[in-house]
Amino acid sequence: MTTIKDGKGRQKAPLTPWKQKSTKAKKPLPGVGSMDGRWGYPAIAPFFLIFLIFGVAPVVYSIYIAFFKWDPLGESEFNGINNFIFLFQDSDFWLALRNTFSIWALSTFPQMMIAISLAAILRNKRLKGKSFWRTILLVPNITSVIAITIVFQQLFGREYGLINSVLGLIPGVENIDFIEGVIPSHIQIATMITWRWVGYNTLIFLASMLAIPDELYESASVDGATKWQQFKYVTLPSLKNTITFVLIVGTIGGLQVFAEPQQLAADGGSTKQFLTLTLFLYNQAFLNNKYGYAAAIGIAITFIVLIISAINFVITRKISGEGSR
Amino acid sequence: MKKSATRNAFLGAFVAMAVSLGVLSAPAKAAEQITLTIWTFGEVIQPGLQREYQKLHPEIKIIPIKNDVDPLHQKTILSCQTGGPADIIAFEVPYSGYWRTGNRPSCFQDLRQMKTSGINASAGVAAGLSANDIKKNYLPWRWEQGVAFNDNVIGIPTDVGGLQVAYRTDLFKKAGLPTDRVAVSKLWPTWDAFIATGKKYVSKLTPAEKKAGKGFIDDAGSIYAAVMNQGTVKYYQPDGTDGGKLVYKTNPQIKKAWDTTVKALDAGIGARLGQFTSDWNIGMNKGAMATILAPAWMLDYIKKQAPDTKGKWDIADLPVGGGNQGGTELGIPSYSKNKQAAYDFLTWYLAPEQQLKVFKTYGLFPSTSVLYDDAALLDYKDEFFSNAPIGAIYTKGVLKLKPIFEGELQRKIDSTFGAGLGRVASKKMTSAKSYALVISDIDKLFKN
Repeated sequence: MTTIKDGKGRQKAPLTPWKQKSTKAKKPLPGVGSMDGRWGYPAIAPFFLIFLIFGVAPVVYSIYIAFFKWDPLGESEFNGINNFIFLFQDSDFWLALRNTFSIWALSTFPQMMIAISLAAILRNKRLKGKSFWRTILLVPNITSVIAITIVFQQLFGREYGLINSVLGLIPGVENIDFIEGVIPSHIQIATMITWRWVGYNTLIFLASMLAIPDELYESASVDGATKWQQFKYVTLPSLKNTITFVLIVGTIGGLQVFAEPQQLAADGGSTKQFLTLTLFLYNQAFLNNKYGYAAAIGIAITFIVLIISAINFVITRKISGEGSR
Repeated sequence: MKKSATRNAFLGAFVAMAVSLGVLSAPAKAAEQITLTIWTFGEVIQPGLQREYQKLHPEIKIIPIKNDVDPLHQKTILSCQTGGPADIIAFEVPYSGYWRTGNRPSCFQDLRQMKTSGINASAGVAAGLSANDIKKNYLPWRWEQGVAFNDNVIGIPTDVGGLQVAYRTDLFKKAGLPTDRVAVSKLWPTWDAFIATGKKYVSKLTPAEKKAGKGFIDDAGSIYAAVMNQGTVKYYQPDGTDGGKLVYKTNPQIKKAWDTTVKALDAGIGARLGQFTSDWNIGMNKGAMATILAPAWMLDYIKKQAPDTKGKWDIADLPVGGGNQGGTELGIPSYSKNKQAAYDFLTWYLAPEQQLKVFKTYGLFPSTSVLYDDAALLDYKDEFFSNAPIGAIYTKGVLKLKPIFEGELQRKIDSTFGAGLGRVASKKMTSAKSYALVISDIDKLFKN
């Protein structure tokens, strides 16, 4: 209980400066004043209209059908909270939860480390062709997931994959089955996710690294700090907020992993070893025709994301301390 | 038909681009121009024939949009509620049970109400033909898979997925087995004999080959579907109702197919290469398997994936005889704005003449039974498969086929059994335990 109170108490802290800012902003800036009033609403209306149609309406509708046995082309019958009761008793749901978190952990943490290291390298002022390196980092991110999966399957193939071919050179090493094995299959999926997102995160880290004032490094080097010490005591602490951001965005993305496992095997593997939450939802709706049940799963995922985000928030607050900028 | 995701992905992207360009440029065209949008997958719409039809009718533009089988099914359900741009939609036979049941047939135009317009009279399709008039050209049970339970004709069959055994003559010779297709067919009158042949083959492999994962058959799990389709009942038994009665717990055919497959798995005759994976494609080139249970439509895939193995393959009969896998229907969604043009295209595209052309170019076996005593089909030989008379071999198999009742969740149940056998193959579970899990997983499908 005390920790929750703590969390609540701390939540208020960052809000205050923002509130102050908003009171300041009440004084209309010269020239912008006329935009302040009624013209503001039509200007922002397109976004909210589209959001209402494609964002809010489907959410409300899926909450509605979560209480039905829903058949899009037939008769639907009211099912009360049975979908939810069934969900908590469904071992596949808990399995999917486990898989999702395992894949999330295997992709998020290595990804962070690689991204921070890459950003530190790219930050180097003597590096040639900076824009080229920065651009190329984004290429994996804009590549289709299906194409990525096909290429990675050639790397991870059990018999003729590149990784197993290399491992095969070591005597006594058995081929690893990157589909049937639980952890190996998670590693394969996590690698695909890492490959796709590491460049994007590198750029975010790079941007916030470039915002660190040079004086900090200068004074550190005057004090005799090595490059590593500079990284540890100047760069990392300054990145705390960015790390929080990347972690939260990564968590939300991690809970929605879908295309990679679906491309490996639509049913999530023979023992459902890489069935993730969203794949579970998709399969219930679109393979098993249980649309109402799938809607209930969607609601459950929403709550899981909320809980995780709250935990994330509390933990990262604690790590970054009160002195966050 | 199972389709390679690779080709679909790239083709899908390309087609999507082509379509968006087409849509943008459409208003500039003359008013009589008709655009037929076809939602399809894999090789169902052949580019060669599509060009031929457009040459016949320059005013008609055909735009195939490819998806994978399952996403296409979802798109079809959605478009049925909301309307959509498609004029023709392909659906696989395992999904036919879904579309034939309840009030879902209303999503498709009843083709009995349509009449050919006669624009293809010069190409052999007379005017004024309804679906009832062309029915006689098709294999009767195959035709029925496109007839809904309210007697509406919602789809016309494309190919029939006759199943036979493709085998490597060079590898058979090396293992001291006969190579002649008649002698090879005699090796396995039963599935037990097939497994015994496999054991003999595997015993001749060197330890190095065994370590490299070579085997007699590409994936022993594929035996399950072959045995299942030799029966008359799968998971649903016709009982006069639309849905049929669920018999997945009691049908002895299932147990037989399961046990035969497990026996093959235990005998270690499989190379454990899942079909349509990258390992499978590479293994085909490396001689990792000596046999593949190949539906007619797969022959083209083998040719394309392993061109260097030309002349090393031959085709023998399936154990017991008569196997089937896959097959597709083409239907016209109710919301289509070009029903007449779509029907004219369908009746031409799926007419015996065109089906024969498709078979010769792409290996999809015709569903038009009028061809089955036609010398053009029976005498057709393929160089790639050691000049095997594949027309005659597949005809023989198809004629032995018995109709199978396809139920609503057929495809899902099939894949649940597939996963169960996968667990046995990877030695994660014993056969009995895995079977029990399959049954409880299917039970869950019908609960809640």
